[in-house]
Amino acid sequence: MLIRGFETALARRPDHGFQLLSSGEEAVAVGLCAALRDQDQLLTGGRSIGPALARGLDPKRVMAELLGKISGTNRGKGGRGHLADPAAGFFGAHAVVGGNISIAAGVALSMQMSGTNGVAVILFGDGAFGAGALHEVLNIAASWRLPLLFVCNNNQLSVSTPRSTALAPKNLSDIGLAFGMPSWTVDGMDVEMVASAAQRAVEGVRAGNGPGFLEFVSWRFASHSTTARETRSRAELEEIRGRCPIARQAEALMAAGLMDEREHVSLKHEVADAVAAALAFADESGYPDPDEVLVDVW
Amino acid sequence: MFYKISVPPVADVEEIRVLEWHGDVGHRFNAGDLVVELETHKAIIEVRAGQPGVLRKILSDAGNWQQIGLPLGLMSDEESEALPDAAESIVDLAVDFEIN
Amino acid sequence: MSGSEPLGTEKIYFREAIARAMREAMREDPRIFVMGQDVGAFGGSYREFDGLFAEFGAARVRDMPVAEAAMVGIGVGAAAAGYRPLVSITYMDFMMLGFDPLINYGAKLRYKTGGQLTAPVVVKTTAGAKGQGVAHSQCIEAWLMSVPGLRVVAPSTAADAYGLLKAALREDGPVVFVDHKRLFPIAGAVPLAETTLPIGRAAICRSGTDLTITTHSYMTRVAMEAASLLQSEGLSVEVIDLRTLAPLDIETIVSSVKTTGALLTLEEGQVTCGVGVEVIARVHERLGLIPAARVGALPAPISSNPVLEPACLPDASRVVVAARNLLKNRIC
Repeated sequence: MLIRGFETALARRPDHGFQLLSSGEEAVAVGLCAALRDQDQLLTGGRSIGPALARGLDPKRVMAELLGKISGTNRGKGGRGHLADPAAGFFGAHAVVGGNISIAAGVALSMQMSGTNGVAVILFGDGAFGAGALHEVLNIAASWRLPLLFVCNNNQLSVSTPRSTALAPKNLSDIGLAFGMPSWTVDGMDVEMVASAAQRAVEGVRAGNGPGFLEFVSWRFASHSTTARETRSRAELEEIRGRCPIARQAEALMAAGLMDEREHVSLKHEVADAVAAALAFADESGYPDPDEVLVDVW
Repeated sequence: MFYKISVPPVADVEEIRVLEWHGDVGHRFNAGDLVVELETHKAIIEVRAGQPGVLRKILSDAGNWQQIGLPLGLMSDEESEALPDAAESIVDLAVDFEIN
Repeated sequence: MSGSEPLGTEKIYFREAIARAMREAMREDPRIFVMGQDVGAFGGSYREFDGLFAEFGAARVRDMPVAEAAMVGIGVGAAAAGYRPLVSITYMDFMMLGFDPLINYGAKLRYKTGGQLTAPVVVKTTAGAKGQGVAHSQCIEAWLMSVPGLRVVAPSTAADAYGLLKAALREDGPVVFVDHKRLFPIAGAVPLAETTLPIGRAAICRSGTDLTITTHSYMTRVAMEAASLLQSEGLSVEVIDLRTLAPLDIETIVSSVKTTGALLTLEEGQVTCGVGVEVIARVHERLGLIPAARVGALPAPISSNPVLEPACLPDASRVVVAARNLLKNRIC
């Protein structure tokens, strides 16, 4: 809910900048992060806001970063494409599609060499699945039994390219099987299923079984980015948005008697307050000084 | 008659380091015996006697460097022969060399 | 000992200087490890890692499959996570495959994370033409000089290889260490005491008053040969070995050119957007339009053909001709 509320508020602003939003894919971020511990590191591609918030980053500092303020997680210098808070277990986003899959393997290697009992998780989309880097790293990770979990958030569209026309395997997780690692394809719209699949996968990696490959099948509710044109019809989108993971979870919780309507409304207020606070913090913060342009180059 | 053992002309090598002499001064080598091992930047050269002879003088000890073509030591047919004064007139010893 | 080496030095092969630097650095800092093809029991393509596998084992000297993008990225990632890897890319030509993780991530990491992360990784690679064909011969270090956040060093002697490699392994960000195929057959005096060289400092190999030649890597030897030939024509040539390409030691170069009044740049790579044109531009910014010329490879791929390869590459006689032309055309 926080992710949806945060991103909605962000997108409403005229200065929202170039953003990739997670609407429809919140369950993947939240379910995955529920399985991670303090000693783990999450790396993502450019669709980073949802995972960053799910990992527990302070929404104020994330909003500040997205709006280019010096109080942001990256001093305003990374933006959404490079959000990072390694101290909080979010090693970071990287905007090059597939560009940090090998980096994640390096992080995993460092964990293996140090014996920290941590797991490195690399979250990428179906758009990265065709990239050479993925295949090189699958091989090495399997060969070295790295504590690395590959998580493919298959929202079935890479900007305008449907997954079915671009990618050959029947299930994307089949690639993991080719390298001999435990692999799963799971419904990405059900947060409980995502969480339990992630838990099983993460703990298997943590136990020293080597890498694993998780594919979550999800649906993107909006276009690829704030500048990308939508390719699906209104009717299609309406159908897709009917699969909202948040609504689904709310219904499930209420049906199970774990949440009533009053609590649900209360949560909505909490989210609204948090989002408002994040926006206020960001708006009150200053931009970096122009001299910052040469800071931290070397 | 005296002969000099020189660094064999190996492709892509400018200078070598003497690794090990396989006999002291006074040692008689038969044809085919390993006389000295030389180290290049990437391999070891085994210099073997192409004819029998006695090692009479070592000009480059193990650990020393020498250029391609220059002398490493002197051999003679017989131990009793007196060492010559000048080394320039001495002919090269027939050698076989193998690069490993 | 041969007896002709300066006191306090040992004469060793170029590859031994590299192995010694690695050995010392790895003994001192357990975070340093090596990755590459044939670096383990094989000891490296040039035996430049001889002995490391036996001493430090497979965890710290890791053989990799051919996968440069992954290899560089894993090195960068491990560095970002607290280690100090050296990634060995046997042929500089194939560094191109690792440009994305090195340049888009590694060189930008400190900046893009606002200082939270940095990648102290050394990418060591061997450049240069030596009869191995168009895709195994390139010197592309100039391409890397303009990347903010990336340091580039290029030794020309065993001593400098030793000192610069030790320094590179201590840097807090990514460093590319470029050596050259033709440097491996040479031997040189290296200090016996453990030392490092400063990154960003050029060396004057030969003093002179009529012309400054700036150069690096194997071409330093060619420059010295050319300087000798020019000496016999009555020209006094100062040869500066750049040693570090990024950041360039402009002060040393400017100081030299102030005296000589003429600058010739020599590189094995292409002159277009090469090392030389950057040196000349910076000298001109400081001293005005002093006479300058560039010498580099001809604008063609470097074939392994025994006639065409030398026809393509700079040699001492080409440098001599270029120097004569430069000084002849200079208005005194």
